[in-house]
Amino acid sequence: MRKLMFYMPLALFLALALFLLSGLFSNPMERESVTTDKPLPAFDLPDLMNPAKRWQPQQLHGETFLLNVWGTWCPTCNAELSYMTELRQQGVKIIGLYYVLPTDPVLGERFDLAELQADVSNKLQQRGNPYQFNILDFDRSLALDLGVSGAPETFIIDSTGIVRAHHIGDINPQVWRSKLAPLYQQWRQQDGAQP
Amino acid sequence: MIAEYGQLALTFALALSFLLAAVPLYGSFSGNQRALLQAKPLAIGLFIFCLLAKLALVHAFLNSDFTVINVATNSSSILPWYYQITASFGSHEGSMLLWILMLAGWTALVAIFSKGLPLLMQGRILGVLGLINIGFIAFSLFMSNPFARSLPFYPVEGMDLNPLLQDFGMIIHPPLLYMGYVGFAVSFAFAIAALIGGKFDSTWARWARPWTLAAWLFLTLGIMFGSWWAYHELGWGGWWFWDPVENASFLPWLVGTALLHSLAVTEKRGTFKSWTVLLALSAFSLSLVGAFLVRSGVLVSVHSFAADPDRGIFLLVFLLLVIGSSLALYASRMNSVRSQARYQLFSREVMLWGNNVFLLTATLVVFLGTLFPLFHKELGLGTISIGEPFFNQMFYYLTIPFALLLGLGPWVRWKQQPVKPLLGPLSLIAIASLVLALGTLSAMQSVQANLALMGLLLGAWVGVSALYELYQRMSQFGSVSKGAFKLHASHYGMTIAHIGFAVLVVGVAMTKTYSVELDVRMQVNDSISLAGYQFTLLEVYPLEGANYGGEAAEIAVHDKNGEFVSQLHAEKRFYTIQRTVMTESAVHARLSRDLYVSLGEALPDNAWALRLYVKPFVRWIWLGGLLMALGALVALLDKRYRRSGPAASAAKPAETANA
Repeated sequence: MRKLMFYMPLALFLALALFLLSGLFSNPMERESVTTDKPLPAFDLPDLMNPAKRWQPQQLHGETFLLNVWGTWCPTCNAELSYMTELRQQGVKIIGLYYVLPTDPVLGERFDLAELQADVSNKLQQRGNPYQFNILDFDRSLALDLGVSGAPETFIIDSTGIVRAHHIGDINPQVWRSKLAPLYQQWRQQDGAQP
Repeated sequence: MIAEYGQLALTFALALSFLLAAVPLYGSFSGNQRALLQAKPLAIGLFIFCLLAKLALVHAFLNSDFTVINVATNSSSILPWYYQITASFGSHEGSMLLWILMLAGWTALVAIFSKGLPLLMQGRILGVLGLINIGFIAFSLFMSNPFARSLPFYPVEGMDLNPLLQDFGMIIHPPLLYMGYVGFAVSFAFAIAALIGGKFDSTWARWARPWTLAAWLFLTLGIMFGSWWAYHELGWGGWWFWDPVENASFLPWLVGTALLHSLAVTEKRGTFKSWTVLLALSAFSLSLVGAFLVRSGVLVSVHSFAADPDRGIFLLVFLLLVIGSSLALYASRMNSVRSQARYQLFSREVMLWGNNVFLLTATLVVFLGTLFPLFHKELGLGTISIGEPFFNQMFYYLTIPFALLLGLGPWVRWKQQPVKPLLGPLSLIAIASLVLALGTLSAMQSVQANLALMGLLLGAWVGVSALYELYQRMSQFGSVSKGAFKLHASHYGMTIAHIGFAVLVVGVAMTKTYSVELDVRMQVNDSISLAGYQFTLLEVYPLEGANYGGEAAEIAVHDKNGEFVSQLHAEKRFYTIQRTVMTESAVHARLSRDLYVSLGEALPDNAWALRLYVKPFVRWIWLGGLLMALGALVALLDKRYRRSGPAASAAKPAETANA
């Protein structure tokens, strides 16, 4: 027994080495979304351009779509607008989740919807408008529930409202072809199967 | 051409490290005296060639030789010369060469200062160090050559040193830290030599103690300067982030601290033998694991070097060889060891055992906190992250019993301590610390049961106890003045280091409790008050540096009574080559508080975003670290460490009692 005790450090070290070895071959930046394969969290949020209209998860059912978290303040989001507009023209359904930056009253900032709407339509006119419509996440509660860590991020939501994929970073031709398009097509094909 | 000479020198160093590993170890097994005698010249030669390689690299940086890839990616011709030198260890390749230079330096130092050791021991220790040198030099030459050229196509201008690294902190932090990391290789080599010899009497512990102290001294300074650097460079007043790479440096420090204390028991009492050897192996092993974590890309951290799986594999195989074989040797040798010493429950031995228990629990907490996300992910359980709250809470709970024990430990004798004689002084210390803690808080008009109170109580308990114990020991020699000279340097060292810990605890607790910060929008001549200080923005003007532009702000600070305190100069720099923005925060430091301002973005209407902090007692954190390092330095001066082997092994009984 006593003899075995002295082999403990060696055994523990070898176990650690095994983990380190497998760690070498996986990317530490890659992270799974906490929401994958779960239904969209409940929300009741206004439309960005028409705040009288409100959106709930049930209204989004019926067709697989991309939920794109973005903001005009985010340069990468602006950069991906034109490619996503091409995707829209190819028939991909994209819904925007507008991520409002927190305003700091100390710095003399306040939230102004009219200004924001003008800013957004300006930007979409310049760069192209990939969105069917935009949901205004004014207190960032839906983004928080979705585990968004920064913009842009994109979710694939299937026809029953279940989150199927979570992509962190921008959408460009390479990312779309190698990662997102196969997933999108796969869930798109099942749209008919499960009404 | 010089760069090629550097590579050649490194190749020679590799050859010498092979010889250093082979010849003396052969001599130690065959009893060949001549082979053993080669160890010293080989070790010194190894160091000289590593130094030549390092100088060649520095030469390439100083001359902005952009045909060398390492220079082109980490330096530029407009970089000031002192940062060109530091840029030579700002990259993975360059820092590896610094690491090697330090390792060869320690090897040479052991060769020079081990005259008192038996030749056989010298040969074994230097042979083991030679083996470690082989691994790192080969890694540098074959996996991350700092001298690689990009001929025939090379850039006319370099990409500049990362602006974060263009700071005084970068000049001193990595060399100190590496001296510490690599220094534990010496304790490691001593332990392996003892394992090979199969003798674990108190002699190996006495030999290993000064080397362990020296490595610990450097590691302490390295970590402390790293913390100070992050504080003033990152612009948001944090001083410890529980970042994986910080943790990687903290792990060997914790185990090294445990080792220092455990070595004392092994030396003085001949017990804890197998435990001490294991700690000596672990301290360096954790340095190696840390190097792997930083350089393999397994963990995400601000400190990480660019990830490369091939390098990771090389290092992992090296880890397996070094750590795996040493632990296997440990297991096969240790089952014959028996401790004979007897001691009672209330004795110095048990106190130091407690010290080790807490330090290793802390090690485990940091280790698991750092690697748990990796384990979790590799077991297929998904990604998680462990942040500051976990570490802070665990360390809060660990520090309380640890500090209580630390105040008690030095009073307790070896073998057995009757309780009664200690009751008097200990209750006196307890009352004194209560008065000190409450007195400080009432002076700040904030007496409440909070973290600050706990920190002050523990800090005062440790500090007062250390000073009072010193006084008591001095008095034992008849009079205090007489005792002051009789007392060994290592006793002073211990007292200073323990006071350093007390100062650190107070600093952490006070800063965490009473720091205030404010994000503000200011125009010129605006005034804002924070924690009794009035900050006025005087002017903002453009900035012109060697390799950066930007803005500078002048902020005047007045206290409650309207007295002028200081004028702070905060900068926002834009480094032109790397196109990055850096904040140079302005700090006005006093023992009781720091005033800290960093300049943010320009806002509409000629206004600026500014971030203001008042951080009480934050200096105490680094002062504590400095005192700990000073303690180690003073202990190193103890002349008992410089007595040669046989004479010192006949330690006087009186010495055993009071050391």
